[in-house]
Amino acid sequence: MSVKHAFLGLLAEGPLHGYELKLSFEERLLPSSPLNYGQVYGSLERLERDGLVEHEVIVQEERPDKKVYRITAAGLGELDRWLRNPSVPALDLRNETFLKLAVARRLGDIDTAEVLASERRGSLRRLREVTEARRQAGAEGKGVQLLLLLDLAAFRLEAFLKWLERCEELFDQEATTNGNGNAEDA
Amino acid sequence: MATVTQRMPETTDGGTAAVVVKGVRKVFGTGETAVEALRGVDIVVPKGEFLAVMGPSGSGKSTLLHLVGGLDRPTEGTIEVGGQDLASLSDDELTLLRRRRIGFVFQFFNLLPILSAAENVALPLMVDGVREKQAFERAAASLERVGIAGRSAHRPTELSGGEQQRVAIARALVAEPVLILADEPTGNLDSAAGEQVLDLLRNVVDEGAQTVLMVTHDPRGAATADRMIMLKDGRVAEDHELGRAASLAEVLSHLEELEG
Repeated sequence: MSVKHAFLGLLAEGPLHGYELKLSFEERLLPSSPLNYGQVYGSLERLERDGLVEHEVIVQEERPDKKVYRITAAGLGELDRWLRNPSVPALDLRNETFLKLAVARRLGDIDTAEVLASERRGSLRRLREVTEARRQAGAEGKGVQLLLLLDLAAFRLEAFLKWLERCEELFDQEATTNGNGNAEDA
Repeated sequence: MATVTQRMPETTDGGTAAVVVKGVRKVFGTGETAVEALRGVDIVVPKGEFLAVMGPSGSGKSTLLHLVGGLDRPTEGTIEVGGQDLASLSDDELTLLRRRRIGFVFQFFNLLPILSAAENVALPLMVDGVREKQAFERAAASLERVGIAGRSAHRPTELSGGEQQRVAIARALVAEPVLILADEPTGNLDSAAGEQVLDLLRNVVDEGAQTVLMVTHDPRGAATADRMIMLKDGRVAEDHELGRAASLAEVLSHLEELEG
């Protein structure tokens, strides 16, 4: 996920200072992902280094000076390029469940079925929460953007639960094949 | 119908369980071709619970639903619905129990095509001896409850899949049964219509006194329930309490942890 490009998008609507960017990002774009100040100012520094934004210092009497950022022509070009080009889908293969299953299969101290059952419980509970939040959001007439974010979470969890089913099928198949292997080969 | 004047036997206990399945085995066929669909299943469904039953095909989940619905009898073990032991009931009494205490919702809706939505919903009441006027009043209230009062004069072919399923749910609810049995109720619907049907079943549990037992393949369906039981090879392989749902704000605050 590119915070930098999200910032370019926010700045394309008008100049903002760092804290306003953080708030706008969280309120208007991605309510599930609070930004820390390191991310905010790190992103702004890199954008400025690349000539995509520039800032002017507003001197304030009672409070520290603040930097107000605005997008440059190059920044608008980069924003346009980002919007029009496909993102590389994040596959999230550094997956904890996958690791647990791989370790369990090697050790044999714990049945993979037991690992799958506990992982399924975890994911289903999450999906239950998200599904209920989606219902609440729908009933409260929340905007389509929030509904779609919750849908994204739900679809991901559904896909993951389907993958857990697949794990079970293939482990069972493997056990059957190993069990009857000789008979089938003969 | 000769059964109109018959009375339901009194329930043996006013307990807290809507369904009790005890040591149930079900064998189809005999001898070498016998298939053991259920191999000793114990499940208690408390009143007011929404239970999802999942499992690969052949795991016995449809058989379980048929047995709990009194559409078939177990080879061994007992099944109680609303405190009544199904084995103690004659076929006529079982028919009455199905008509008055259990509502069925199917994957393919099973509505009568020549009847309007209101007629489909009123029919089971009239078969049970309720007078026409009263039956249609109750049907109208039931259609209202599922949010399609405006479609009551339409025939099934004039309704979308989601609407047909809502009519089927209205029909299941009209006799105010203790138990709703749903067999893949979203299996034949697109995702938006499926969600509406799940919402509706969720509301039935939250707002009414009903208990729902739903067989499903759909993880989102299971996640609408309070509890999920996984059947495998005719046995309960997993039993997961899914807990009460969190608030929108709580969920949003830790949504990012959901990944992976």
